[in-house]
Amino acid sequence: MSHHLSSRQISGCLIGAGDPSEQRHARECAACRAEIETLATPLAWFRTSVHHWSERQLREGNPEMASAFETAPVLLLTPESLDRAWYSNIIAAIREAIHPPELPPLRLTSRPVEVPRIWGFYGGHERTAGAYSVLIHAAVIALLFVLGSVKPVQMFVRETATLIAPDLKPYLAEKRDQPQPHGGGGGGTRSPLDASKGKLPKVAPRQFTPPRVDPPENAKLPLMPTIVAPPDVPNIQATNYGDPLSRMGVPSNGTGLGGGIGTGAGGGVGPGKGLGFGPGSGGGFGGGAYRIGGGVSAPAVIHKVEPEYSEEARKAKWQGTVVLQLVVDEKGRPQDLKVMRALGLGLDQKAIEAVEKWTFKPGMKDGKPVPVIATIEVNFRLL
Amino acid sequence: MERALSSEVTPVTVGSGGPLDNFEALVEQHRPRIFRFILASLRNQESAENLTQDCFVRAYQARDQFRGASSAGTWLMQIAANLVRSHEASGRLKFWRRTLRPDVDLSDAGDWIPDRQMSPEQMAAAKQQVEEIWKAAGRLSGKQRTVFLLRFVEDMELLEIAAVTGMKEGTVKTHLFRALKAVRAALERNMK
Repeated sequence: MSHHLSSRQISGCLIGAGDPSEQRHARECAACRAEIETLATPLAWFRTSVHHWSERQLREGNPEMASAFETAPVLLLTPESLDRAWYSNIIAAIREAIHPPELPPLRLTSRPVEVPRIWGFYGGHERTAGAYSVLIHAAVIALLFVLGSVKPVQMFVRETATLIAPDLKPYLAEKRDQPQPHGGGGGGTRSPLDASKGKLPKVAPRQFTPPRVDPPENAKLPLMPTIVAPPDVPNIQATNYGDPLSRMGVPSNGTGLGGGIGTGAGGGVGPGKGLGFGPGSGGGFGGGAYRIGGGVSAPAVIHKVEPEYSEEARKAKWQGTVVLQLVVDEKGRPQDLKVMRALGLGLDQKAIEAVEKWTFKPGMKDGKPVPVIATIEVNFRLL
Repeated sequence: MERALSSEVTPVTVGSGGPLDNFEALVEQHRPRIFRFILASLRNQESAENLTQDCFVRAYQARDQFRGASSAGTWLMQIAANLVRSHEASGRLKFWRRTLRPDVDLSDAGDWIPDRQMSPEQMAAAKQQVEEIWKAAGRLSGKQRTVFLLRFVEDMELLEIAAVTGMKEGTVKTHLFRALKAVRAALERNMK
């Protein structure tokens, strides 16, 4: 064979599957032999390394296991019942459940024999032992009763088991003196006549329809008119809606605007502004805005202007505190400033001038800004 | 290539009572070989020990069925090959087994090289080549690896391998060709 072996033929020679002519060529041709050697040598190394490794592992491995088998091979065998596959066990169990194998009739080959008593450790004194047991139990119980009836023991027990009336205050919900939100409402339909006297509509937390003196007759969606006010708002008995504080007269919705009854604005009743009743604003009853508390948060000052000192007060070295009451409206602007405690000498006026320029974060009720009454102390101090 | 048949392959002497009368001698004779094959296949000493033990247990249980058609070594190797195959099949599910004991380090397996007047460079190259063969053998499919190990580690003839694996000789050859091709490719990659 003149040409060299292909890579497949070389593999065949290595495997031992080459035909005789190829193997002869492999022996004779130096180039092919070298080619085979490049593969055969690493494989031989591989073989040696595996042999060596295996021998070492065998030496390092579990010597007891090796010797155990050689001495007693049968001991290591698993019983036939355990050697079955798990599914064959299940199948066998199902088969037995469906077709129970017919077992041969059970023949009793044993006979009862006389055995010593099981409770033999009383040694034949069961009766006395039972009696003693009852006696001991009775004695213990009697002792407990006797002890319970003795005065010092009773005293002792009473002393230790002092009942404490627990202070439930931390657990009880705090009853706060909830100031009712004050406010007012007003309305009207720009009628030339003043609002007529009548009953107030029902009180509801939200207003859908403002009250009217002359309710529409064939409303498509009849809805009870309501105002937003506390439930104890004073009312009168009347057939039609109106302002309870007004005079009797021709039924009129009043000179106000925005629906409702009265001279004010908005859907309420009265001279105020909003959905309530009365002279105030923002719903509720009575006069004025909401008061802080009862779900109404306090307004906070955003921008402050320091008041100036009046000339007279400076000359007189006059100092003190002016208390102002004001309504912070929905937009945070001070309204209706009133002097609650005057100081005189023009300082009240200066305080009002300053506070009028303040801006507030409005008080909130149910997440919405509402007008809130607030009190502000303005201090005048000479340095 | 010179290949001497090792003494381990010689069939066990047939006793007077039965073919596998002297079971202890059989175990002693074949244990290193079976262990080596399983260890090379699984690369886990613990599993190899267990499977070797299993192999002899099965052989002991089935010793009545051994008719002497092949040598006892071939028969035992057949059992071992079957065990390795079923272990690999179950091992795919029982992945946590790997965590029990880390597989043998390849560098650990290739740390011995016949140092026949080899320079350190040659030693290192040889080591690297052996490692490459290890890795390549690890990448082979189950059948190819079995055939490869039987041929090049256990030095078995093609017919013997066919008897062990239960495949036809032609199939064994095909598997060997493919395995060798992969190993060659790995070695050539290493050389470059």
